[in-house]
Order: sequence, then C-alpha cells, then structure tokens
Amino acid sequence: MRSNSLSKISSILFSVFLLFSCSSDLNFDQVNDFKIEPVFVANLAYFNIPANRLVDDGGNNITYDVRDFDVFKEKFFTERLKKAEFNFEVENNIDRDFVLNMLLLNDQDQILETLSFAVPSYKGTPNVIKYPTEVFENARLDLLKQTQKIGFVVVIAAGPPLNSQSKGNLRLRSSATAYLVVE
Amino acid sequence: MRKALILYLFFHLSCFAQNRELLYNFTSIPQSSLVNPGADVSYKYYFGFPVLSGVSANIGSSGFSAYDLFSDNGVDFNQKVRDVINKSSSKDRVITNQQLEIFSGGFRVGGKESRSYISFGLYQEFDFFMFVPKDLALLALNGNRDYIGKYFNLGDLNMKAEVLSVFHVGFNKKLNDRFVFGGRAKIYSSGANATSTKNSGYIYTGEEAGTPNLYNQVISSDLELRTSGIAKFTKDEYEGNIVSDIAHNTFFNGSLGLGIDAGITYNIKDNLQLTASVIDLGFVKQTKDIETLTYKGSYRYNGANPDFLDFNDPENVFDEFDQAIPRDTLYNKYTTWRPTKIYTSIQYSFGESRPDDECNCRGTVNTYYKNAVGLQLFAMSAPREPLVALTAFYRRNIFRKLDVKATYTFDTFSNTNIGLGLAGTIGPVNIYALVNNVLEYKDISKASSAAFQLGINFVFQDKDD
Repeated sequence: MRSNSLSKISSILFSVFLLFSCSSDLNFDQVNDFKIEPVFVANLAYFNIPANRLVDDGGNNITYDVRDFDVFKEKFFTERLKKAEFNFEVENNIDRDFVLNMLLLNDQDQILETLSFAVPSYKGTPNVIKYPTEVFENARLDLLKQTQKIGFVVVIAAGPPLNSQSKGNLRLRSSATAYLVVE
Repeated sequence: MRKALILYLFFHLSCFAQNRELLYNFTSIPQSSLVNPGADVSYKYYFGFPVLSGVSANIGSSGFSAYDLFSDNGVDFNQKVRDVINKSSSKDRVITNQQLEIFSGGFRVGGKESRSYISFGLYQEFDFFMFVPKDLALLALNGNRDYIGKYFNLGDLNMKAEVLSVFHVGFNKKLNDRFVFGGRAKIYSSGANATSTKNSGYIYTGEEAGTPNLYNQVISSDLELRTSGIAKFTKDEYEGNIVSDIAHNTFFNGSLGLGIDAGITYNIKDNLQLTASVIDLGFVKQTKDIETLTYKGSYRYNGANPDFLDFNDPENVFDEFDQAIPRDTLYNKYTTWRPTKIYTSIQYSFGESRPDDECNCRGTVNTYYKNAVGLQLFAMSAPREPLVALTAFYRRNIFRKLDVKATYTFDTFSNTNIGLGLAGTIGPVNIYALVNNVLEYKDISKASSAAFQLGINFVFQDKDD
C-alpha cells in the first residue's frame, strides 16, 4: 500500500510540476526595442506692450530686450529632441506697423538665427495674426540647440507719434512643440 | 540575456496576491498554521526541510499579463506597451509576494494527552505592491500635446516594496473537541523598504481664453518617497553587491518590528467547522539608513517674458522650478504597517469513513470525514482599499495520508481562478504542492495572476497513533 501511494503521490506531484513548464514563447529581449516618442507643447515667449510704453516721435524706432532661455542646458532633453516647432501669434491694436524680430543667441551672444514677423497696423478690426509654423530639424535643429538666450527686437515703422496717452497693445503669444525620441 | 532570464523566471515561476486560499485550513500541512495559528493540527513534533519547507511566490496584475507585453507574436513591442497602458487603469494593481522558509518546527508540550503545541520558524519575505501609474505612463508615452485640458494625476504614483525576515514563535491549544485557539508573536527585520503611497498633485496644460499666454501650464506636486536600507546603494561611492548587502541587512541588521497572528477553529457540530484568523497585525519601525525624498510645491511655466524695460533680470527656468518644487531630503524614522490579512472559513464535512488502510487493533474507532466543502473569505489591507477574495473549496481525502484540495476563487485579478493542492505523507515525510490558477497554466504567460507553494516537512506522530 505504501509503495503504491508513494508512486501515486510522486506521479501526481510530478505532473503538478510539469504544469509549470507550459508557457507561450515569451521574448524578453523585446525590451531592447523600447522606444517612445512623446510630443510636448509648452509656452515659448509672450509679452503685452501697451502703446504708451512705446513713446516715439513718429519715426523709425527700436525696442529691445533679451531673456535667458536655458532649456537646452538640460542634456536629457536636448539629446532626445529630434524635431521642434515654434508657433507665433501676434495681436496688434496700435495704429503703427511693426516688425518683430526674435533672435536666437548662443552663450557668446552671437546670433544663431533671426525669426522675423511683419505686423501690420491696427485698422479698427481685430488683428490677430498666426504666423506659419517654424520647423526645426537637422542642421537648423542643431543651431537651435545652441540657443541660450532669446533677443526680442520690436521695430516700429514710421507713423503717427505715440505718447503716454496712446491706446492699444502689441501682444505676442508663442509656443514650442518638442518631438522627443526616448529609447 | 541575463536580464531577460531573470525577468522570465520572475514571470514564469512566480505569479497572485497574498491570499493563500489553498494552504488555509489544509491542516495536514504544518505550514497551514502560518495562515491560522489556531488551526486544528496534530503532531508530536515536526520540522521543515531546511530552506525547502515552504517556498512560495505569487504575482498578480489586475490589468495585464506577461503575455500581453512579451509574447513573441510579431507585434511591435512599443505597440504592446501602448496597448497595455491604454487598457489598464490607475486602479489596476501589480502585486508580488515571495516567501522562503529558512527553518521551521513545532512540538507538542505537556504529556501525551496534551493538545498544546509550540511552533517556531524563520522565513524571508518580499512584498511589492503598485498601482499602475496610468496618467504618468500616458504622459511619458505620448507627451502632453494631445491632452490639453487634462490633469495628469500624480496620485497615480502609489507603490511600496519591502524585503524582510520574520522570526516567529507560536502557541496552539486545543481546549476541547470543539475549540482550538492559537497565537503567534513575530519579530520583523526589514532589510529594505520603499514606500510612496501618499502622493497627490497634477501636471496640467490648458488653453484658456483671455490669458496672456498660449498655455496655462501648472505642476502641483506633493510627492514623497520614504526609503529605509536603500539610500547607500544610490550613492556614487557605493561599491558592493546590492543583493548580498540587502540579504545581510534583512537577517542581521534590519529595521525591527513586531507583529502578531491569532486564530481559532470552532467545531459547531462534528461536521460543521468555523475558523478565523488575523495574520501580520504588526508594524516595522524603519530606522536603518533612512532617507525620505519629497517634492512639494507648485510651479507655473510661462516661457520667456520680455518687458522691454530692463535687460538684466536673468530668468532660469530650472532654478525657478527647483525653488518652486524643491527636492528635500529628510532623515526621519518612520513606521510602516505590515499588510494585515484576515481569513475566515466555514466548512461542512460529509462521507464518514473509518481508516481502512491501517490496522486498528485497539478497538478505538477514529472515524473521519472523507470530504469537505466550504467557503473562505480573505481580506488584506492595502493602499487605497483592501483586497478581498472569496473562495469556494472542496477537500477530499484520497487515502488516509493523501489529501487534495480544490479551490475556486473570485478576486480582483480573476473570476476563474481554480487552484489545486496536494499534501501527502509517507512515513514522516510530508510533501505538499499548491498551485493556483491552474486553468491559466495551460499558458502561464497569459495568466493575470498565479501562485505556487511547495515544501517538504518531517512530521512525527506518536508511534501508536
């Protein structure tokens, strides 16, 4: 009886163990293929200049400012950035033509690239202009990645003089879209 | 390749949550007293085969299986990752538990007529619990562009992990034929603990009219990760073997804690039995190599904002971010509660039988029931809400010393979880094997949960029993 139950127990136990061996072919090397391509959007730059700050005599004038732009110091981001897009939107409620230049500057304050946007004067109707998307890929992207500062140059074309009583604003809103590849 | 092999073993061998529905009240296995110290056991003395008396592992994932991610079916791996994340929810859990008994034993105290027992043992345990961080996975996978207006919930980050050793001593007494009670004291020694269960906050990108910027971008963060016994491995100057250092800490230099188990068996009638137990009601005071990281604060990202007034106000996005949501490191001791388990069962026995495979010369007739059916309820404390499982079982005595138990369990992970257990005794050698989710064993990789346990003991009864 004992040997009989012994063999039964062992054969049942053995078959239980056999159950462990059944599995679909799993291929864990697939982890090496891991690659994700997230797309992030973020604010790039904005301003809202009231006309009364652009006091001028009616001739050509230039207003200038520069801001640090240090996202490319972040290596993880910069190394994985495969493509970038900038979108710009300007609203002008001032009775003057403008040209807005955005200067991409490196850490030596050298100009890497100038983005230029012509802004027509306000004619009494809403005046929001969406500019074509600036796409940065390949060599242009490499230049972008050296950017450490952004310079903003507002060129005021000749027209009616502006003083502290002048009405209206010049508004910029812009965004960046970052295409990353993480693998 | 080695990594793949480890992963493979992990998914292949291990597999459910800590419910031990097969072991519970399977009293021919001495280890059943680990899930009910008041189990109706009977032996003169026993000891477990060192290291092999109780090996168990289980893994459960309520959202997906290993097959979904790693099947060799030609589908692009990244597509599978995407599919798994899309179909899972932040309520899905991934749970792993592994136990290894180092040694165990028990003996009857008092005379031959005594029905009091003392048991003891040392086992090692690994616990991992995580909710699927769905929102953050979506953000990492896709970015925020297609989720304008969505709050990515940082509260989805919810996990804890612990490696510990448990030394225990238990007492079990059969007061009379109707009532058995037992209790066990435990000393926990935790070699490594990581707990991050109280997170909140969000990452948000919105487009709201009338705002000066294109996007309204806010990160609001209240994150905390508490670790014990891990910090030194993260330092650059660490040069050692993490596995052996954790093992050493687990047994010899862990954070200490205390806990109790308690249980009863009550025979309402000869063939109607009620049992209940509470396991791991205890805590660990995390004191060794403590490091708590917090990220608390709120940050709004606006982009560059020239004012055309002053050239010299430097902006540094990363500094601003670090100031708004600083990373703080704290070194406070903290207390973690063990996952407390509650079991209860009701069992009806039938098919009265006499032992026919053994000579019974003394004339005392020990009848017993060959069959038992019943229900078991299991609950375990867990972050957010407890885990609950209901099990129906059938137990049959095939020979005098060979028992089989089958279970059908409903829980978070599966509605078709059938388990099979066998325990046989040959002479003094007691062997058992318990396998859960047998339907899925046709293809274990497709199982969302599975568990196994096996072990060998030496059990000695009185010679003339």
